[in-house]
Order: sequence, then structure tokens, then C-alpha cells
Amino acid sequence: MNLKKIYLICFLLLGIIVTSIAQQNTIIRGRVVDKADKTTIIGANIVEYDSEDRVVNGTITDVNGDFVLQMINQSNTVRVRVIGYNTEVVKVDPLKVSIIEIESSDVALGEVTVIAESRSVNSLTNIDDRDKASSSVKVDLMDMQEVGVISAADALQGKISGLDIISASGDPGSGSQIVIRGLSSMGNNQPLIVIDGIPQFRISQSFDLSSADSEDISNLINIALQDIKSIEVLKDAASTAIYGSQGADGVLLIETKKGRMGKVQFDYQYKASLNIQPPPIPMLNGDEYITLQLKEWHNSDAIYKIPPEIAYDKDYADFFNYSANTNWINEITKNGNIQDHYFSVSGGGEKTRFFTSFSYINEEGTTINTESKRFSTNINLDYFLSRNLLFQIKFNYIKNEINGNISIRGRNIREMAYIKAPNMSIWEYDLVGLPTGEYFTPITSYQGNGTTYFNPVAVANLGRDGRLENHFRNTFMLQYRLNDWLIFRETASFQSQGTKNKSFLPYNAIGADWLNYQINLSKATSRVNQGIHTETQVAFTSPFKNEDHQLSGAITWVTDRSGYQWMNIQSAKNPSVDIQVPSISGQVAYIATNSGEGKMVSGLGNVNYKYLDRYLVQTILRADAHSSFGENNRWGLFKGISLGWRFSSEDFLSSLDFLGESMLRVSWGVAGRQPNDVYARFATYESTGTGSYTFNPAISPISIQLDRLMWETITSYNIGAELNLFKDRLYLEGDIYYKITSDILFKDYSLPVSSGFNVLKYFNGGQMTNTGWELMADARLIRTNDLLVSVNFNASQNINSFKKLPENFNAERSTSIGNGQYPQRVVEGEPIGSFFGFRYLGVWASDKDVVAKDVDGNVLKDSYGNKLPLQYADSYIFKGGDPIYDDINHDGKIDLNDVVYLGDSNPKFIGGFGTTVKFKNFDFSANFHYRLKFDIINGVAIQTEGMNNRNNQSKAVLRRWRVEGQNEPGMLPRAYMNHPANNLGSDRYVEKGDYLRLNNVKVSYELNKNLCNKIGVRKANLTLSARKLFTLTNYSGQDPEVSQDASNPFWIGVDNARTPPPKVYTLSLAVGF
Amino acid sequence: MKLKVKYSVILFILLMQISCNNWLESLPPNGLIREEFWQSKEDVEAVLMAAYELFASMDRTLFLQGELRGDLLFGGSNQPSRERSIAENNIYPDNNYCDWTPYYKIINHCNEVIKNAPLVQGIDNTFTDFRKQSLMAEAYFIRSLAYFYLVRIYNEVPLVLEPSETDNSDFYIPKSTESEVLNKVVIDLKQYREFAPSGGFSTIIENKGRASKPAFDALLADIALWRFEYDEVLEHVEKIENSGEIELMKGGEWFQIFNPGNSIEGIFEFQFDGNLNQRNGTFGLTQRFSNLYFPSQKATEMFGKENANELVRGENASIAKIGEDDFIIWKYVGQFPDGQSFRSGNDQYSCNWIVYRYADVLLMKAEALSQTGRYAEALAILNKTRERANLQPKNIVFNAAAFEDAIMEERALEFAYEGKRWFDLLRLGRRNNFSRKNKLIEVIISNVPSNQKRILAVKLTNPLGWYLPIYESEIERNKNLNQNQYYEF
Repeated sequence: MNLKKIYLICFLLLGIIVTSIAQQNTIIRGRVVDKADKTTIIGANIVEYDSEDRVVNGTITDVNGDFVLQMINQSNTVRVRVIGYNTEVVKVDPLKVSIIEIESSDVALGEVTVIAESRSVNSLTNIDDRDKASSSVKVDLMDMQEVGVISAADALQGKISGLDIISASGDPGSGSQIVIRGLSSMGNNQPLIVIDGIPQFRISQSFDLSSADSEDISNLINIALQDIKSIEVLKDAASTAIYGSQGADGVLLIETKKGRMGKVQFDYQYKASLNIQPPPIPMLNGDEYITLQLKEWHNSDAIYKIPPEIAYDKDYADFFNYSANTNWINEITKNGNIQDHYFSVSGGGEKTRFFTSFSYINEEGTTINTESKRFSTNINLDYFLSRNLLFQIKFNYIKNEINGNISIRGRNIREMAYIKAPNMSIWEYDLVGLPTGEYFTPITSYQGNGTTYFNPVAVANLGRDGRLENHFRNTFMLQYRLNDWLIFRETASFQSQGTKNKSFLPYNAIGADWLNYQINLSKATSRVNQGIHTETQVAFTSPFKNEDHQLSGAITWVTDRSGYQWMNIQSAKNPSVDIQVPSISGQVAYIATNSGEGKMVSGLGNVNYKYLDRYLVQTILRADAHSSFGENNRWGLFKGISLGWRFSSEDFLSSLDFLGESMLRVSWGVAGRQPNDVYARFATYESTGTGSYTFNPAISPISIQLDRLMWETITSYNIGAELNLFKDRLYLEGDIYYKITSDILFKDYSLPVSSGFNVLKYFNGGQMTNTGWELMADARLIRTNDLLVSVNFNASQNINSFKKLPENFNAERSTSIGNGQYPQRVVEGEPIGSFFGFRYLGVWASDKDVVAKDVDGNVLKDSYGNKLPLQYADSYIFKGGDPIYDDINHDGKIDLNDVVYLGDSNPKFIGGFGTTVKFKNFDFSANFHYRLKFDIINGVAIQTEGMNNRNNQSKAVLRRWRVEGQNEPGMLPRAYMNHPANNLGSDRYVEKGDYLRLNNVKVSYELNKNLCNKIGVRKANLTLSARKLFTLTNYSGQDPEVSQDASNPFWIGVDNARTPPPKVYTLSLAVGF
Repeated sequence: MKLKVKYSVILFILLMQISCNNWLESLPPNGLIREEFWQSKEDVEAVLMAAYELFASMDRTLFLQGELRGDLLFGGSNQPSRERSIAENNIYPDNNYCDWTPYYKIINHCNEVIKNAPLVQGIDNTFTDFRKQSLMAEAYFIRSLAYFYLVRIYNEVPLVLEPSETDNSDFYIPKSTESEVLNKVVIDLKQYREFAPSGGFSTIIENKGRASKPAFDALLADIALWRFEYDEVLEHVEKIENSGEIELMKGGEWFQIFNPGNSIEGIFEFQFDGNLNQRNGTFGLTQRFSNLYFPSQKATEMFGKENANELVRGENASIAKIGEDDFIIWKYVGQFPDGQSFRSGNDQYSCNWIVYRYADVLLMKAEALSQTGRYAEALAILNKTRERANLQPKNIVFNAAAFEDAIMEERALEFAYEGKRWFDLLRLGRRNNFSRKNKLIEVIISNVPSNQKRILAVKLTNPLGWYLPIYESEIERNKNLNQNQYYEF
């Protein structure tokens, strides 16, 4: 069926039929004057809005301030709008000439915005925001524009209860991980982003994992911050059900700025930021390192031959290269900076309104050779073809160029800098100690081979890993008002996202001989995602004219198709460092390409009913069919119902003066999720390794057909209340929710291999719950003309738990124990992202202390009455200076049976608080963000406090056990080369991650109106702000904001030395004409 | 006018609904899926070939499973620790040597063929009954061979007879006893033997590399011998003798069994061809620089010029001396029986893995005859193989135990490093209600560090310890499986 053709026919039909329709005309007349000095106002806009707040008609006042407006519908509202004045509603009285007094809006601008918001309407549901009975929060981003954040996710951090945002990394161009009301499924949990009603791509399906990393995926809201007017977070399934199968993880609705009727406005903003890294973990210097290494050898072997690199041997050929005191972390760290230019033009008349913006951001990261350059442009155009016909175009283009550092064998340069031997020099010296001008990159060093232990400075400066993204979105919307209660809307949106990754690792950056496959290794990946999204909607409002009953709703038909293509080429051993692309066919080592397409159709309907403006019922029903399911399970039904009671409007409460508009609401809803891999359900066959046997072709089945694959469903219950007290001085909002994920989609579900296969690509099963509460408070303490003081606070708690695991589920994800290794498990009743390992109890003071004890605390003895020492598995007997692990089962052996639950990575409480003070032209605000009661596995400490290998260690190891009998609080175990068990995965590295952070603080000065007028600008503003200024935490790592990469749901919350988010100091200057 | 707008909109929405189901059926643009497969006899054969190829690629495993716990192999310095643990009988379920994945992959391939071949016949008009039966016969053969290996290695295993086609299949199949598995296998083999192609392939590679009637007979004889059903053994071996296709190689040509392979003596050999990138694993395992596996002390005594008078099968043929006290296994790396000419180039990886050859089934027959008291006939066969090896005929006291030992020794000489030794020893240990199990235990503990010999000798009187445990992760994944009791502690 050719859809395009149908669209075309429909458009044509509409075009022919569009004619003016006879109306009852009402003519109103009036004059607009300034309330203060009673002067008439020329050029004021008199605008007629329909019941859904759409502009349907308008005129402007003449030189005398007079106007005449022929109204389309008498029940519509008419407002007077002039720049610099408050908007005033005109009483519609055709019999009288009304004098409308309007007030200058110098001070109360903020409040005006609030009113405007409360009248906006969600386009899919056709509900007034004010009447929404489901759980959602809308944030105005206007305030955040001067602060030194460059992404919307950063701006939202700590602002909304129940919304957990974590920066993926502090490197330029890296995104954030956003989790709404707890992790609710296995794998990626990112919410759906909807920009101006158009859902954005989810992570591209089935892309090539060899090139993508989590930062790649997490960069969700890629749009200039200044373009965003507001962000609304839909939290419960009653509201996300409207997005059906895509809404399982919550939805962020982003609204961009639009043109307004009036004079053309130019705005320019410049922001300059300085980014400073928090201090790194102090590491051993070269001399301390060598001392430690010698001790490690001494303890393990007693008799040893000192390797020449740590022997202080003047005759050693590389003596000068191994006698440095290099601080590798400092060498790869610098101060970063951001330059942000933003320019926008907006305006409009009766027929057209436009908003267009250009933004350019250049960010240099705090790790050497990391930068990101982003150019974006946004155009919103509204064209009123006639009173009933509106045509809208939105165009958005983003180009993002990110340069980063290459990781080698999964180790980034920061990780390397932590463990690299500090006695090695960056630059190579010759025999007599003269610099050669080359990086020091030996093929084998004391630590190991030159590609595993590379020179991080050399790799940062010579290697490169770049990403170029081109993203555009184009949306057309046609809206036709059929009559005064029926609107037809047709939307078509195109999106395309192209990503190109290129990386190159030249031979001189690493120590490897010419046969090593890493030599001059270049990789190129290109990935294109494209999508077409259409919506056909008939929306209605109360057809009956009865004030007591109000009915609205919509019927919508959605189609969505999104495709992907990618290709990856790698070549190694390119003949020259100047050939940085895999272009030489002979050297190509790997080529892969893939493409695919997912299609979805949905029908949805919703009805909202309101009785007496007090009793609200909202219902949603959506049916989705997606091509990733077989015919049997193709249709998924998602639904929601919310009930609201605006009790403040009840007569019996009307005597309570302090009570403002307040509501109680209850909701229930079901949303869902589909698998990312659209072709997972097919059984596939592939050629075998050699493709033939006895000269006959050979083909193997490689995956199992999924007949039972279905939607993961999320059912949520929500009870909430909104309270407005003391004339809008105090606003409180609270929610309690219960969310059940059932038929969880498990990717790569382990099967008994007796089936002939290792995994099922997807398996639905089990149950997970998230229970929690949220609280938001906003208080306007002082509200005078000159001074405005407000504080806000939000908190939320979420408890995650696996209620049920699928039958036959293999709960042991990894059983390996050993140094630095944690077994990975799933346990019913415990949350996702739990840590399991040994319990660490300190250090054995001396050899004779090492004994095994039974349950009652008595020392275990062998048959001859000798005390039995505690041992590790069957292989090692602990000695003095070794760590004490808790022998949980008291069998005298530390093994897998002694593994216990150690903590989990889900914060119990998250939230933030802040204050805003406006005094005359000064504006001060501060925002705090906190996450409490969660654990981090300090991966850096595992690497740098183990003292059992040749990695550099942190200064903490200076507190190590050194002599028999030494017993000090907080001492670390002894140094011991290749110790089998002195660094086992234990709670020694599981740390409380709790932190409270001053996320943003800002002072701004707005130039006086009069002064502005004199110098001919509309407004001018100077702001100083600082971001992540200080952090209160007991976490010993560099930063407790550890990336929550949930791609492996059994291993979340591990600090792996990603670049932490820096402190950012920003100066911002904004001018408007 | 207004009405028309409304109607057209409603009509439009309805039209789209009708069209959607077709629109949603989107097939992957690249790759082969079930919906496009199983259309022709070529598809059936291709999956069958994949089963062969998978089995062939197990040659390294087959080598180790047949030799590691025996007494002819000695691990070098590069021997992986998991394999050393097995050899030293230090066996735990977490040793991934115990993973049976490849066997069940093969079994699933065969199950696919067995299930789908009849269905394909309904689609492909050129797929004759005869062809279908013969392809299915091959699939039954491979599946049976896989199960025969499995029961000899694990004793009790899940008997999976249906392919894992969809997620509705039962993946959690409990263990069946050895006799349940072998009963099923024997029924299949007997039923499909008549459909097996016999010399009917166009190339020698196919005749030796795919399941022929003699291959069925050899497998049936082997299973019968394992179950001590001696009359059955004789019956099946006679069929091979009467086929006229298979003969013993001459003494002077003995090494040609291995290079170039596919000799007249071969009954069933997994084919390798380095030129097609179909590389065997045995070369890498036994070549002189890999330091993985060498002949044991016992082997050098059996074959070495200094100790033995083996000329045809001895030093320079089964093993080669490459230095003072430095021997390597020669069958897979040598070009000629001279102990010097190494295989080179792609030829290095082209040595077949011989599953059955004529000498093997002849000695099976001798074993069966001697166990049923027909000593003279048994001796004649034994001496026939010795004669071929240029050795003096043997005289053996006419009792079963003496013959058992003599045949065991003869088999060690003839089939060293062909993955037979451990199973021969197992058979000996199991015979007559474990009456001679000490002989097997003696062999096992010869590989064990001296301080553990005593305790192991006691523990291994439990025959379950002769089999491998089920790999730990498989136990975790399949709750219907019970671990071999010997390993439960």
C-alpha cells in the first residue's frame, strides 16, 4: 500500500475543500492605554484565541490606540499583548467600547511566563496542563541559559524529583544517562525524547559494537540549550502510555521556542567558560614506585634478580628513561574552556511567525586533545494560511565534531596514566641522558608490552579518535479547523542522523614491532539512521456548550519507520603515519556492514472529561504494532487512566483563604518496550567458517526463531497531590508510585548448550519493581517589587527489586573470583546492579594470627591438634600482612561460598534544592544536587591499591603493612608480586558514593530598562556562574558521579577513571535588540 | 462541504489500517533466515555438511578425549592448565574442558536435517525419496556418533532428538542413562543403514569423508563391543569384510593411511584440506615447536628403536626422534615414515582425522571372538595385523584375560594417538562387571602427582570418576540436570 499516495490525495482533497465557513460575527471595539500614565498605546496586538489557546484572529491598535476586531467566535478569549507590558484579557462585550488598561511588566516577567505555561496543551492528548491528572513535571529552562551548561540534561540535573541524571563523562561531547524512577529493565534505560511532538531516535538498532561506546549512545538531547523553552518529564505510565511501546522508560517532552507576534527581536549571547578538573588521586612518584616494586618482589620471591629498570643501575642503557619522576595524570590533564555563541532572530505578524537561531559551541576538554565543536541551527515557522488553516515548519540541523583520545584494548589514557610506571619518562633519552625528541615507547618495558602499557601522552598527542555527527530533523504540520470543536492535524517528520567515526593509532605512539596488528591501526565507521514519522490526528473539544461538562480528546494514527545502515572498516600496518584511513586494500583487516529497518503503526485515542472544573477523568488507549514481532504477538495494547480531584474548588473549602488551586490525583497505566534488534525474531542461517565440507557447501543455523517474543510491559500506579498555599507562595507536589516491569526483555538469555545454542537473542520473563515517592516544594518567601526570594527543594526515593526471575534463569552471570574480580549475580529480592564479593576485615598483623575459626569462634584444628590457618581456595595459605576476608561458612577456606551481597549502585535518595534571589537588577541563584545511599566499586583503587603487580599505585599504599606484628588502623595489606588473593573483589573497594554538590551558582545583572533604551538595546545581561563548584562526599575516588552504564545490567556503577565532570566557571553576556 | 472533509479524513484513516499488516512484515535485508531456507535438497545437504564440518573441527578435542587420560601422551610446557588438570585427574566441574557445546551443536544440525528433510521434499520436486533417505541416514549416523562419544565421556547425557527451532522448544532436557541413549542410537543406525550410500559418491573424499555403509557397520560394531554384545560385533564386522570395498593396507604402505590419507583401509575419516582453509587441529597439537604434547615414556618404549622391534609402526612412523630423548608424535606432522620429512605449507593442516579404519574393526572382531572363546580365530586376526606390521606372529595362552591384554597392546601400537586409547582402557575397566578395573585405575594414576596417587586409587574405584563432570555453567543453566555424583561434594 502506497502511503505517500494516500497522503497526497488527502492533501489535495483538503486543499479543494478549504473555504471560509459562515460564522456568527461579533465585533468588539476598544482602546488600549497604559495603566500608569494613561497614554494610548500604538501597535498593541489584539489577539483572539480559541478555547485551546490557538491564535485564530487578530488586529493591532491604530495611532489613537483604538482597535476593531471581528471575532470568529464569541466564546473565544481576546487578549492584548504588547512587548514590555503584561498581557490583558479583553472582556468581550460587543455593545461597549472597552478601555483596556495594561500594566508595564518590568518586575513580574517571571510570573507572566507561568501563566503562559499553564495554558499550554499537550498536542497528543489535548489536555490543558492545568488539568493533567497524571504525574509529570514541566521545567522552564529560561533560567538556565546563562549558566555554563551546554546540554539540557546538565541543566535538569537535580531539578526534578525522580529524575536521575548522571554525566557519562567529563569529556567534551559526551552525554548523560537519564533514568526516570529507577532502572526498570535490563540494558539501556534511556527515556524517550520528544522534541516538539516528534519522538527522536532511540539508540540505533544493532549497530556495530566494535566502535560504539556508551558515550556515543548516551548523547541524547543534542540541541542548543538556548533553543529550549521548556522540558516536561512524564513519569507515570498513565501519561507515557500515549507513547505506547516507546514510553517504558519515561518521556521527556522538549518544547523549543517559537516566534511571537510583534517586533522582530535579535538576541545574542556569548558565554566563555573555564573548565578545571577536580584534583586527581595522588599517585606514587618514581622513587616511591621503585621502592614499592622492590618490596613486592622481596615479599613474593625473597631471592630475586632486580630487573634493571628498577635497579638504579647507571650502566643500564635505558637508565635515564627509567629514572624519571613523571606525574602522568598531570601530563594528560589541562584546563579546558568553552566558547559558546548563540544568535537568534524571532518575530512575526498576523500571518507568519518565525524563530530562528544559530549556535556555535567550541569546547576544549580537560584531558589533552579532547574537544568538541557543535554547530546547530533551528528554524520554527508558523504560517496562518487562513483563519482555519495553519501550516508549520520546523527545521533543525546539528553538526557535531568531537575529537577524543583513542582507547587501546579497552583502556583509556586516563586509566593508563593512573597505572603507568612513574619512573618512566615521557620523552626518550639516549645513553648519556640527552633527549632524542621522540616519545619513550619501548616494545617491552618493566611493566609489560608496549601496547598494553602504552605511553598515554604519546597516544593522546599522536593518536586520534574523532566523531562527526550530522543530524537533521524536518517537520511539517498542517492544522485545519473543521468547526469550532473539531481540528484535523497532519504531521510528517523526517530525521536523519549520520555519524562517522575515525580513529588512528600511529606506530610511534605505542611500543610495538612492525608485525603487531596495532601498528598504524586505522578504523572508520559510518552509520546512518533515518526515520519518517507521521501523525494524523482529529482532536475535539466539548461539542456541547455546557460550562459544567467539558469533554476533549483526540484520535491519532501514527506511523513510524526508522532504518539504519552502518559499515566498519579497519586496517592495520598501514605503510605510513600519513595514511590514516583504511584505504589500502591489502591492509584491510576487518570489514563489516549491516542495515535494517523497523516499522511501527499505532492507533490511539484518548478522552478527557471534566465536570465542574473539579472532577477530571483522562483515559488513553493505544495500540502499537511493530515489525520486530511475529504476526501472533504483533499488537500491543497500552492504556492509562487518571483521575483528578481539584478539591480546592469545592464549596466547602472555599472558606480556606490560604488554599490555592490544589489537586489530588490517581493514575494507572501500562506502557511497553520492544527489543532494540528488529530482526531478532528470525532464525538465521550462515555459512560455516570455511563454507564447505568435501567440496559441498555448508550452512549452519546460528540463532533460534523467537515465536514468544513480546512487549515488555510496565504497569505503574501513582497517587499524587499538588498543593498551592498562601497565594502561590508555597507550592507542594508529592507522588507515591509503584511500577512493575513484567515480561522483562532479557537480551542474550543463556540456554543450556544441549540445545545446540548458547543464547536466545531475547527472552521475556521475570518481574522487577520500582517503588518510591517524590516530593517537590517551591516557596516564594519574599515577593515585593524589588526583592524576590524563592527556595525550592525536591527529593525522591526509589527502591528497585527483582521480584521474580524467569524459571530456569541462570542467576550466576559470572562466577570468577580473583584479584580485582567480582562475581556477578542476580538474586530475587535484591536490586539490579547489586555487588557481590568477599567481606574485607582488615589485615593480618602477623603469621601466627592467621587462623580459621568455626561458627562459634573457636579455632579450627586438624587431627593432630594443630591450628589450621585460613587459606584461599586450595592454593594459598594466608600470612601476616595479607588481607583478612570473612570466612562466611567457616570452612577454613576463602572461596566462592564466602561471597556475600556488598551493596548496590542504585541511589536510595536523589534530589536537589536551590534558591533564587532577585534584587532589583541583580539575580542570584544556587542549585544543589544530591544522590544518597548508593555504592560505587572504586575501580581505580582496585588498580592502584592492590600492590600485586607492576602498576603504579596511589599514595594510599604508603600506609601498607610492612613488618611482622604491625597493626594499625586503616593500614593496607602488604606489597606482594603476583599474590593470588591480596586484592580479591571485596567490600574494600565498595564505597559509599553519597554526595551533595553545589551544581550551579550564578549571579547576573540585568541592565536597567531606561539605560537600555538610551543605548538602543532591548535588554542586556551579564552573568557570572560556576558549575560543580564544590562537592561534599566521603568517596575516595576522583568524583562520585560515576557513569551509570546499564548496558551490562549486572555490572553498573563502577568507577573506571573516566574523565570526571570538571568545575566550570562561566562568564556570559547577552544582548537583545 | 464540511461533511466531505470529515468523511475523507475518516476514510483515509481506515485505508491506512487495512494496509498496515503487510507493511509491517519486514524481513532482514541481509542474511539468510528460516523463511527463506529449507526450500531445496541443497539446503538439506548444506546443513548436513555443516554438521560434518563441525565434527571435523573437533579433531583436537577428539584427540585429547581419546588420549589425555590414557598412558601414551605426555604434556609439554605449553599444555594448557585445564588440560593438565584433566590429565592429572584433578578434575572439577568448572574446567571448561568439560564443556560439551560442540557435540550438541552437531546434534542440533542433525536434528534439523532429520526434521526438515521430509518437509523440503514437499517443496522441492527434484528431491527424490532415495536422496532424502540417504541424507537422513547420514544425519542419523553423525548424531549417533556424537552420542556415542558423549556417553563414553559423560556416561549420562540429555538425549535431544528435536531441533531447537523456536523458543517454544524444550531446552531443559534431563539426562538419559547410557543404555537409553545407546538403545536409541542403535535403533536409528540399524534402521537407516540400508539407505546409507555405499561407494556411491563421485569422489574418494566423499566416500571416505561421509557416512557410508561400512561406516555404519563400524560404528554399530564399536557400540556393540562397548556394550559387550559380541555376536553383534561379529555380525557388523562381517558386513564390512563382505563389502569388498575395504582392505588392509600393505605393510610398506602403512604410513599412507595418514599421508595422503583416504586409503583403501579408511572407513570414515574427517576430511581436512589446508588449501581450502579447512585446517586440522592435530598438527598444531603435535608439531615440534608447540611444546604441547609428546609421546609418553611408555610410548617411546613401545615404539623406540632401542626398546622395540616395531619397524612399520614404530620410530619414524607413529613417533619420531628429533633429538636425544626428544620424541614427537609423527602421524600428523610427517610426510613419510622417515621421521625427518615434515609436512609443509598447507599440507601441514591437511591430515585427516580417522574415526574408523579396517584394522580397527578387525581388532574389534578379534576382541569379540576371544571374549566368546573363539581364541584361534581371534589369534589369526591379531597376527594378521602383526604380519602387516612386519612382526612375528604371537602365541597367546587361550584365556580371555590374556587375549584382552594382547589385543589392548596391539591396539595401542596400531592406533596410538588416533583417539582410541582411553576408550579402549575404559572398555577394559568396565568389562565383566568391572572385574579388571584396577588395570584402568593403574593407568590413570600413573599420570597423577605421587602424593595423590594413593587417595585417588581409592576414589577411582567408583567408576563414575572415570567420566567427566558436566560443565558447571551447564548445570546452572539447566536445572533438570544432575551432576555426576562423583563430582558432587
